[in-house]
Amino acid sequence: MSHYQYDNSPYPIRTGLAPAYQKYWGALARPGTWFSGAERVAIAGEVRNALNCPFCAERKAALSPYAVKGEHLCGPVLDARVVDAVHRVITDQSRITQAYIDDNAANGLSEERYVELVGVAVTVFSIDEFNRALGLPLEPLPQAEAGNPECYRPAQAKHGTGYVAMIPADGATGREADLWQHRTANVLRALTLVPNAVREWMAVGDEQYLSMTGMAQFGTFPGRALNRMQTEVVAGRVSSYNECFY
Amino acid sequence: MLSLSAEITESDVNLQLVNGDESATAGDVQHAAALMKFAEAVASRDERALASARSELLEQAGAEVLVDAAAVAGNFQRMVRIADSTGIPLDERSAALSYGLVKELDLRRFASAQNTPPGGFKRKLMSLIARPMAKRLFKKLAK
Repeated sequence: MSHYQYDNSPYPIRTGLAPAYQKYWGALARPGTWFSGAERVAIAGEVRNALNCPFCAERKAALSPYAVKGEHLCGPVLDARVVDAVHRVITDQSRITQAYIDDNAANGLSEERYVELVGVAVTVFSIDEFNRALGLPLEPLPQAEAGNPECYRPAQAKHGTGYVAMIPADGATGREADLWQHRTANVLRALTLVPNAVREWMAVGDEQYLSMTGMAQFGTFPGRALNRMQTEVVAGRVSSYNECFY
Repeated sequence: MLSLSAEITESDVNLQLVNGDESATAGDVQHAAALMKFAEAVASRDERALASARSELLEQAGAEVLVDAAAVAGNFQRMVRIADSTGIPLDERSAALSYGLVKELDLRRFASAQNTPPGGFKRKLMSLIARPMAKRLFKKLAK
């Protein structure tokens, strides 16, 4: 099946967006670093379930996420802790804490797996949100491919910045030399415990927003209809509504 | 980045836009009110508001602007979740650049602000140096 054709879109979809989404859908279906292809596609399914999950709605409304007990609306593939983490990332991300991640790690959801699931969840969500913003139907999920995850942890990753280990600013070397040149930022380092998670979201981000090179430009970009200030109005309002300090 | 963009392009922007203040939409950002409403509707997941905001932006600015705005909104729905799910603090450089902005927009009211310590005098001092330097650097890069 050929994904993201946008044949029935009432709006012309900017060149570059559909190929980026198609490429990501291909990567989503393949075995990842710590999850199989079937698990990765199931994580994408949980992104969609989370948005209709009554327990998530009840928990979001509660003063503390630990004040309510219940079961998620979810599919059969994933472990309950993985499901809960995906649902939290999508519906209640601002109340994720170090203690939550440590508790998961002590009970079978390692920080490597947590980082990969965050990468899959947020990248799928950002593509789904593009379609929803335009009133277009969500793309069917891809058929998972067989195979085993690579189970690779970059040796230079260490703790000290956020809740999970990350590659330090001077650690983009060896297999990770492509992640950034010269300078980086914490948001780029955030998922580097699973370097492919960064590569995957950045490829989508380059098309949806700006590449790292483009971020240093403040005018209008070739092929884009929004100038930089208009772009930042949208970016700022979405971030502020989500109460994102970063 | 909005505030830096405005400074570099010497444009008039009321930053309260990002807090959803409709009275702040006057200025040099074309279609600011429609863009702000569209962004808010995407983030709030209010489908009626989204349909209305989408029509308004399409009518005012055209399909290409609408598609680009949807892409940027999708992107930042992701970025806020990466930041919050991993508990990253604001980088020291960005914290210095946004020192005044954090106060102006009262951004420390957000729960995720706890990941970034307030900073104090050193950061305030850095902000006085960092902002003009960044402005000069980006202007140079733009040439």
